[in-house]
Amino acid sequence: MTTQGTIVLIAVGLILLVWILDLVRRDRLYVGYGIILMVAILGALLVLAVPPLLRGITRLVGAVFPASALTLLALCFIVFMLVYILAQLTVVSNRLALLVQELAIRQADESPRRPAAKHGPRPSEGRSGVDR
Amino acid sequence: MGTTLRVLVAIPAYDEAGSIRTVIERVRTSLPDFDLLVVNDGSRDATGQILTQLGVVTTTHLCNLGYGRAIQTALTYAQRCDYDVLITLDADGQHYPEQVNTLYTEHLRGAWDVLIGSRYVESHDYSQSPLGRRIGMRIFSWLVRMVGRKHIYDTTSGLKIIRRSAFKPLTRWHFIDFHAEAIVYLLRLGYRVGEYPITVAERRHGQSMYSLLTHVTYPLKTLLILLIGVVEAELTRRSQR
Repeated sequence: MTTQGTIVLIAVGLILLVWILDLVRRDRLYVGYGIILMVAILGALLVLAVPPLLRGITRLVGAVFPASALTLLALCFIVFMLVYILAQLTVVSNRLALLVQELAIRQADESPRRPAAKHGPRPSEGRSGVDR
Repeated sequence: MGTTLRVLVAIPAYDEAGSIRTVIERVRTSLPDFDLLVVNDGSRDATGQILTQLGVVTTTHLCNLGYGRAIQTALTYAQRCDYDVLITLDADGQHYPEQVNTLYTEHLRGAWDVLIGSRYVESHDYSQSPLGRRIGMRIFSWLVRMVGRKHIYDTTSGLKIIRRSAFKPLTRWHFIDFHAEAIVYLLRLGYRVGEYPITVAERRHGQSMYSLLTHVTYPLKTLLILLIGVVEAELTRRSQR
């Protein structure tokens, strides 16, 4: 890794860091996501600032050039973030679906046409599975 | 017919303006003792207006959530309103509501937790279906037999009679379309799932919920949920021992 390349990457990292902090400050980025990104950027800056660490990682992942090792790490991080974001999206989507279902049921509950629930002894339900 | 049980007929509907009126009228005529609920799954056509005109109890999803979620809404509604039995019926007019009485009698006689109205249980003949669907049916039927240890010939039928005992597990976990994956899940939990022969009509209005893309994604999604469901059922069994 050339000194010029290292300086450029550190500068990019610092700009990203400031941007993320500003987004969190303005409530445009959830603080939890901000932490993940900041930890990743600080980790990358550390690896760039300490050349023996970068060389060690290069040997560890079996890469020939330090830049290849950095690319691999970046790719792993992107995949991790992708899975994490899709999981979060699923959570939000499930919450939305529940909300829509709940609204639908409440609307039917308030309908004057809805028959009243009967109370009293329930007839026998026969054989059963384990989940009763 | 068991009059002490409270029975709800639920019809999930998405853009079924062409057929929903006839289906509801036939259900009201054929099944006068049962309550009726339509789950309007975010229809963009006149389905909502028709339901209002007909005075049907309706749960309206503000956006389209899909067949599985619509069935889940019906199950939650049935559970909260203290129904003993839920009957699901397609809104496209393919099912004959007149056959539900026979199916319901068999459901009571056999004490089934879930009884499926099956197109193939008698003939075992899938030749009426298109090739892709035929292959899918055979594969999922075979999978249910292998994993659930019971031969179910029609895993994709929309006509089902579900006893209250099965409401909880079916609402607790997520299913794609309450087909093979839900059947295997219930079988693995020890519930009684059976089939009873029915006949179906050709779809005359609207479109099938399966597009070209879903013909590819549906089997893969169902397979994944089916396999995860086996693990989930096993974990549930262990936690309840």
